[in-house]
Amino acid sequence: MMEAVISTDHLTKTYRQVSAVRELNLNVPRGAIYGFLGRNGAGKTTTIKMLLGLTRPTSGSARVLGMDTARDRIAIFQRTAFVSEKKTLYPLLTPNELVRFSRGFYPTWDEKAVEKYSQLLEIPMTQRFEKLSNGNQTKVFLLLALAQGADLLILDEPTTALDPLTADEFLRVLAASAMERGCTVFFSSHQLEEVERIAEYVGVMDRGKLMLESRLDDIKSEFRLVIAVGNSLPRQTSSQVLSVVADGDCCRYFVTQDADGFAAKLTQNGATVTQVVSLGLRDIFLQLVRKELPCSSGNAGATLVGSSSSF
Amino acid sequence: MFVWKCWRDTRGFFVVFLAIAALPMPMAAFAMINRGAAILDAGPAAFQQTFVMVVTAAAYALATICAIQEFTDKTAHFLFTKPRSRGYFVWTSWIVGFTELVMVAAVNLLVGWGVLAHYGAKAFSDGPQKWNLVSPQKFIEAAAYACFAYALTFALAAILRSGLKGLGASLGLLAGVVGVSAALQMRWRINLPLPPEQIGHLPLALSECAWMVLALLFVLAAQLVVERAEI
Repeated sequence: MMEAVISTDHLTKTYRQVSAVRELNLNVPRGAIYGFLGRNGAGKTTTIKMLLGLTRPTSGSARVLGMDTARDRIAIFQRTAFVSEKKTLYPLLTPNELVRFSRGFYPTWDEKAVEKYSQLLEIPMTQRFEKLSNGNQTKVFLLLALAQGADLLILDEPTTALDPLTADEFLRVLAASAMERGCTVFFSSHQLEEVERIAEYVGVMDRGKLMLESRLDDIKSEFRLVIAVGNSLPRQTSSQVLSVVADGDCCRYFVTQDADGFAAKLTQNGATVTQVVSLGLRDIFLQLVRKELPCSSGNAGATLVGSSSSF
Repeated sequence: MFVWKCWRDTRGFFVVFLAIAALPMPMAAFAMINRGAAILDAGPAAFQQTFVMVVTAAAYALATICAIQEFTDKTAHFLFTKPRSRGYFVWTSWIVGFTELVMVAAVNLLVGWGVLAHYGAKAFSDGPQKWNLVSPQKFIEAAAYACFAYALTFALAAILRSGLKGLGASLGLLAGVVGVSAALQMRWRINLPLPPEQIGHLPLALSECAWMVLALLFVLAAQLVVERAEI
């Protein structure tokens, strides 16, 4: 992997008895768009808060842009733009006033970017923030983040509560801007489609643990659903087989690497491999967080009731 | 930048207090314009009392609105990810409010003084002798109390993450200290100095300085709490 803009070392956060983040080892390469996936309560926001020094880790450490988050908070903020999941800003200020407020903090502030993105995103710059629609409020956050001229953009569920059109516009601008300026984007989401659309790298988090971290293309090319029929099919999970769903003589294997090799091995052992199905990010995500099992046809969204051995 | 934002948040209250500070003495003098003696008889006491009331009310009000409101407004994630220390935000908002408080006090003082000088001189040829009724100590004590109350309320509002909670806690705390002081005095004859009273045998100026140092320690405590706050 390339040089890491964000790296964590056994980062852990515990609130009393509740473990929000456990032993997290995250690596976000420079220049990448990194989608940080997880369902509600998975620990995404807590991780982001620790990366920004808004919350202290219980143990472990994190480095952002090569700097220690505990020591070099202000230096990190100079080069990092943040869009919080809480889209609240000073209600009485207009976007123009928010720009005026923010620009003094950053020597790298880009006034041309304000002009460009306010027009592109069609933000009413003279209306009070409280009077703006949800979509426009989120766009103001993006505008402020992009105009900052930051090397790293951290966005916590940026498109939550946005209609599909606005979300689409938001992501389009975000991806184009990141590409144009070569900055790194780290964004959390549980909107799988949007992650699949713009992210190059994906990290999947569940119950405070990082379940998977890899290049999205690698995940898509490696992860397969292998459906086989036969007697005495293996039902154990392994480093290669994430889960097995058995239904009589039919078994569905969720394979994380070398699916063809695995299918060949099954065939050698007398089984008939009926399908090797490539999976979308949604199926992979659901398998990892174990809320839904893969369907026999490989259609995303179908739920199969069946037994599953755990890994 | 942040100073501008603090000013924008507080300017409404500031202008109202400025008007309250500037208007009562000229209005009262104008109302008594044909009763020359009354101006000098009641004027100094009215001047003193107006000053005490105005600066005390301004201190509490400005502290309530100046204290870091980011937690109540849920904008802490925005402000505290700017490349400045949290201490900078605490002290800047404190200084903006304090400057406004000083300006309110100064305006009240200057206008009151000016009115007494103007109408007093007109009404009586021996006007200046009546200035003896104006006690500088009362003004110093009132100003010191206002500064103390401002710092305490500001600190508690920042610590409790709410201006109104801070105001309530500050009023409660000061009332509590007065109660404790009275109880100590009655039960054990122990004299607990209360702000802005003279502390023991210290000269007045030194006592007020000591109260000011204590007030600044409250703000320092607020800074430490805000710096360690998890968002």
